[in-house]
Amino acid sequence: MTRLLFSSSLKMLTRDRQALFWALVFPLIFLGVFRLFSGDTAGTTRLIVSVDATSERGRALVDALDGVGFLDVALRPGLDEESARALVEADEGDAALVVFPAAPGTPANAVLLMGIRDPIGRQVTSAAIASVVDRVNLALTKAPIPISMVTRPVDEKTTSFFQFVAPGILGMGLMTFATISLAGSLSRYREEGVLRRVRATPLPPAHFFSSVLLAHLVVTGLQVVVLTLVAQMLGADLLSGGVWAPLIAVSGTIPFLNLGVIVAGRVKGRGAVEGAANAITLPMMFLSGSFFPVSALPEAMQQVVRVLPLTHMLDALRGVTIEGESVVEQWPSLLMMAAWAAASFLVARRSFRLDDA
Amino acid sequence: MQATPPDPVIEADGLVKRYGAITALAGVSCTVQRGEIFGILGPNGAGKTTFLEILEGLTRPTEGTARVLGVEVTQDPAAVKARIGVQLQASSYHRYLTLREILELFGSFYPRHADAMELLARVHLEERASARISNLSGGMQQRFSIVAALVNQPELVFFDEPTAGLDPDARLDLWQIVRDVRDSGATVVLTTHYMEEAQALCDRVAFLNAGEMVALDTPGGLIRSLRAPYRITVTSAHPLPEAAIRGLPGAVEVEASNGADGHVVRLRAQDAPGVTAALTALAAREGVTLVDLAVQPATLEDVFLHVTGRRLNG
Repeated sequence: MTRLLFSSSLKMLTRDRQALFWALVFPLIFLGVFRLFSGDTAGTTRLIVSVDATSERGRALVDALDGVGFLDVALRPGLDEESARALVEADEGDAALVVFPAAPGTPANAVLLMGIRDPIGRQVTSAAIASVVDRVNLALTKAPIPISMVTRPVDEKTTSFFQFVAPGILGMGLMTFATISLAGSLSRYREEGVLRRVRATPLPPAHFFSSVLLAHLVVTGLQVVVLTLVAQMLGADLLSGGVWAPLIAVSGTIPFLNLGVIVAGRVKGRGAVEGAANAITLPMMFLSGSFFPVSALPEAMQQVVRVLPLTHMLDALRGVTIEGESVVEQWPSLLMMAAWAAASFLVARRSFRLDDA
Repeated sequence: MQATPPDPVIEADGLVKRYGAITALAGVSCTVQRGEIFGILGPNGAGKTTFLEILEGLTRPTEGTARVLGVEVTQDPAAVKARIGVQLQASSYHRYLTLREILELFGSFYPRHADAMELLARVHLEERASARISNLSGGMQQRFSIVAALVNQPELVFFDEPTAGLDPDARLDLWQIVRDVRDSGATVVLTTHYMEEAQALCDRVAFLNAGEMVALDTPGGLIRSLRAPYRITVTSAHPLPEAAIRGLPGAVEVEASNGADGHVVRLRAQDAPGVTAALTALAAREGVTLVDLAVQPATLEDVFLHVTGRRLNG
């Protein structure tokens, strides 16, 4: 294969807007959208507190509330329930805790006015405040604490949803580009008569074919670089395992390139080819854990999904990035990926016959 | 062309091509000499493209042999492909490359190749060097596909229906380009289903019908082979005696009718000067004034009709 042939193939691919869409725009949109949705649950909650801060219980309560990281406490003594409600409705705060005045030593009543709409935020905030109130109550009664509990995460690393989904989007982007774009290119070359025209020259057909494949691999490399960098900028670390994640990503694309060749060879007509390529990649994108863990699927479904190549590529990617495992520990996934690459290559070779073009 | 010593660039011998139960080519043999413009005529489905594809090394014949430029095509298709130029019917080029890039790319497939800009200048497309195929008119696209067949400075060029779908001006343009290609030293083989194109352009013409070669000669030779190669139409104010016309030596297929201009007699003749002289003499004898007398030479269309019993287009 000559350099001109390769550079021409690459040039064609980079001038093809549809190919560029699948390669970069499509996964970048997903990265952006998922980054928006997995914001750290609105950051802080603004809590208006009405209590007599000079009293013993008032001081104890405010101190304890200040100790809760996500609470931004604003002290507004002397509010009644109505005026506190009005403040929350005017969005002066997300919630208001009103402790009604009571003589020292007598029990005081309190009400928590909740302005947070999303159920998770509402639950987290009220649970946090209730536990603060319980602790203050216990401390003030000076009673011994019967059971004292702390919470420790089993997994020392806390993984944000975006960190989980970023490798998924990388794998999805590589898969859709490899399968859809390669199938589309090959079927277009066949349908428009370019393949026949090339066959009328002394160029060995395999050279032409390899140049198209190689151009796709180069764009795949470009995808890995761009998507990794953008994910990094948005706060997901795909390089915590060093170069392994990019390497797994590029080599994991081989079965999908082969799938593209198979689709182009077995399906006739360009529209049908693109439809078939979409029909293969779209379910895989959702089932193989790009956006949701495979373990969330019904057990029977998981058995099927465990066979798909994208599942293993994503497992290996998440293994070396999120789980902090070594690449050697990914051997079951890598083995499956290699098996897929080999099997799909054999089928692809029989599917797309250049001399029929 | 016929004067040069025979130097066959194509020798086809008993070529048969079957696709399953369908026989596309049923035993075609012919020889094409260096420097000819050789036309292959026939209706759609006659086997023209299949014949060309065998010669170009794109399709293997089921039976028979084809030697192109002295090489048996099935033995060494790459050697043949390096020395021939090919313009395929309904093939296009890379939509994301410019004209110049396509010619440079295709040039790189050959051991030797012409300069892209010089090639574009040959078909007056040098100003469109940076354009893409989709931005060209039909005529320009066709001119480009012709010149793309010349990237390797071929000794033999195949054009498959080079003027299909073009308007008359663009067609005349293309004829001149084809002549230029031949004059620059290449042998040209082209298919067409336009009779006038074959007649105007080709040194020799082969008729293909249903996979068989039914005639092969120069256009003039084919026409002269007809029993009565001229059509004569006589229009007169008063009727001419039909029986007397039928009796004229060399007149056949006599038909009389009444047209808007008067009484019309149509006939065919072997010898146009003799029959027209006899017709005017007959009219003078009968005292009938001739309004019009038209003599048309037969065309390849007539030959095709005669040989196959069917019209070429229609």
